[in-house]
Amino acid sequence: MFMFKKKFQALRSPLMLLLLLSFLLSACSGKEGGVSSSDSNGQAATAASGTAAGAAGEGPSGKLKVQMIGDFATEQKTDAITGITSKGVNVLKEEFERMYPGAEVEFVLMGWDNYNEKTQTMLQSGAADVYQVPGLATFVEQGLLEPLQPYIDKDSFDTSIYLNGQVDGWRAMGPEDQQPEIYSLPYIGDARLIVYDKQLFDDWGVEYLSEKPSIEEVLEKAAKMTGKNPKTGEQNYGLTYNGTDAADTVMNISESKGGQWGTGFLWKDMSLEFNSDTMIEAAELLKEANQYAPEGVLVNQGSENFLTDKNNIAIHLRAAPGFINIIETFGTQDRYQAALLFTNPELGMGGMFAGSPFAIGQNSKNKDLAWEWLKFSSSEFFQKYMWEEQRSQSMPVIKAAADWDSVKALPQMDIILKQMSQLWAPRYPYRSGQPRYILSENVQRILLGELTAKEALQRAQSESESWLKSQ
Amino acid sequence: MSLVNAERQRALVRSERQPASRLESRAVWYVFLIPSLLGILLFTVYPLIESLRLSFTKGVEERYVGGANYAEVLASETFWYAVYNTVYITTFQLLIAIPIGFLIACLINGLRRGSNFFKVLFYIPNATSMIAAATVFLAILHPDGPLNYIVQLLGFEKIVWLSQPVSAKWGAVVLSVWHWLGFVIIINLANLQAIPIEYYEASSIDGATRLQQWWWITVPNMLGSLTLLLVLGWIGGLQRFADAFMLGGLQGSPARSLHTVVGFIFERGFGGNEYGIASAASYILFFFILLFTYLNTKLLKMKI
Repeated sequence: MFMFKKKFQALRSPLMLLLLLSFLLSACSGKEGGVSSSDSNGQAATAASGTAAGAAGEGPSGKLKVQMIGDFATEQKTDAITGITSKGVNVLKEEFERMYPGAEVEFVLMGWDNYNEKTQTMLQSGAADVYQVPGLATFVEQGLLEPLQPYIDKDSFDTSIYLNGQVDGWRAMGPEDQQPEIYSLPYIGDARLIVYDKQLFDDWGVEYLSEKPSIEEVLEKAAKMTGKNPKTGEQNYGLTYNGTDAADTVMNISESKGGQWGTGFLWKDMSLEFNSDTMIEAAELLKEANQYAPEGVLVNQGSENFLTDKNNIAIHLRAAPGFINIIETFGTQDRYQAALLFTNPELGMGGMFAGSPFAIGQNSKNKDLAWEWLKFSSSEFFQKYMWEEQRSQSMPVIKAAADWDSVKALPQMDIILKQMSQLWAPRYPYRSGQPRYILSENVQRILLGELTAKEALQRAQSESESWLKSQ
Repeated sequence: MSLVNAERQRALVRSERQPASRLESRAVWYVFLIPSLLGILLFTVYPLIESLRLSFTKGVEERYVGGANYAEVLASETFWYAVYNTVYITTFQLLIAIPIGFLIACLINGLRRGSNFFKVLFYIPNATSMIAAATVFLAILHPDGPLNYIVQLLGFEKIVWLSQPVSAKWGAVVLSVWHWLGFVIIINLANLQAIPIEYYEASSIDGATRLQQWWWITVPNMLGSLTLLLVLGWIGGLQRFADAFMLGGLQGSPARSLHTVVGFIFERGFGGNEYGIASAASYILFFFILLFTYLNTKLLKMKI
């Protein structure tokens, strides 16, 4: 016993060292963090080599890692607020694997927090094959994404299945490109719309907004509906807008006057038109609109009840299409209707382009299969899944959606799809850098009365030009 | 070998081995430090060096631009406005929270019963995350919120707190004072309880009043904790972000009135992918904090 104790004491230090090292090594090895790789039964998917899987089917095969950003889950889940149960993205995996025997899909699902930084890291390390890239331009500029035109040409893929402008909206410029090219295909649609409360229009005896209202029409009707409601006696406001994005509203009004943000795509070629006559006129019109808005509009206060049955604001100049989910939750579907944003009469476009596309990573190990996933995302199966199960974070991007019964059943969807077909494409590239913030700050100074529209927009122009020069 | 000799031999071996086993023992504990040291190297030292390197580069291709980023930050009106906002909010936060916290701590310290209740009551806001506190303050500072209700009860016009630059800054001051007050009280209470009771007993014998005792005994003995609060307050104040971000968004709306130095770093880094500018601004902020802390400790003759 004594001998054993002695030996143990002699071995104690090396043993502890060994224990600690094994602990460190086990901590370092870890599992594939954040990667959700499970089949429909929730069991861990087995890794299949590309060649082994490929033997089973005719099309491309192998392992495909798809990164998706948002409130996605692999399995079915129930929303804590609405109580609505939605199927997980495993539905997509099963269908894709059925279509491509020998293919195996793994998802990397992430939230919206710091998504650009996470995507950048993943792209550089080749952690996935397909990426959801709403911040596309930065990655294309670095040559991290695969150009898609050769794939489109090879398969004669018909991009006209998408709503007008949806593919063009995501065009971006790589290091060697002379003009914006296709590096991604849309799969989540988004837009901003004018939304109005029909009940308040009825209370005031004002005719509803037309499908394509002008800013003058909006101002005229908003003026009539600002004050004590003749039926309820409560204070009503004619309009509101997203105060922190007021510059986008000014830009949109300017578009309806024939203006545009500027020209060019890369910083070095960019020319801005922040101080154009139409922008000055638009800023003055928004300042005029301010008198019909709640006092806290600049910081998005005072419009909390919009879309509910307690609402006291007639028109929202900048609502997201997700409003259809909110009115469904509050049971106010019959009360609210949408109208189109202001449109540039010559170009037929108006409003900031938004949404999310899929792209193929330059380091992807299975680009052919990744391309098949991109095509799959445009299918009615995929888009219907997004519409039916992920409606809170997605609008359809294909023309066929207009014929779906579930879409036709919603009177607001007609306008939403039309709006998504007229967004400004390619996206306003100035929004990827300081000019976006400079314009926004100066528009707020106009609305606060600190500067005149001319002074503020001249300031925005010269500050932005100075920033562009330093790039 | 006799038993005595054998025992001597063992004692000799033990005495020779002892230093070695002590060394081993120490080495083992250093081994236990390895995970922490690795963590510090990986997550603190490496990012610091990487950030310094980035501060001399520009663009996604990270081309070397020397001190251009530093020059750009220092020449930026937006940056200096962010500095002004940060200093403005912090100055009033400290001017209000430290004296009020000290007075409340003195009152709590004088209580015979219920002091624990008040300690907890005042400390709860500090234990709450700033994000949650700011979310609550968005409702409190709402044009139709409870703060305006009190303002109107007092006979004043209601204030649209977050919609005007000056009142928005004061909204942030009110929030930061409310959030930090509990910390000030706890630190002051700890110091108050460390003042020897004999000082007060001796002064009572000499006929000193409660006010005289407070002014001549309590206040001088509290200078250490008050200066510490000032230094900590400045460091925390210069790093402020969450409160201003929650109230004013990414740009510190309206018209950048709630844009702070860290907000500037965040906007340029994550809002526009200008990591070089953001890194340079981070180092400039570091030197600001260093300078402020140095001046504070020198002016207040604080020993750290």
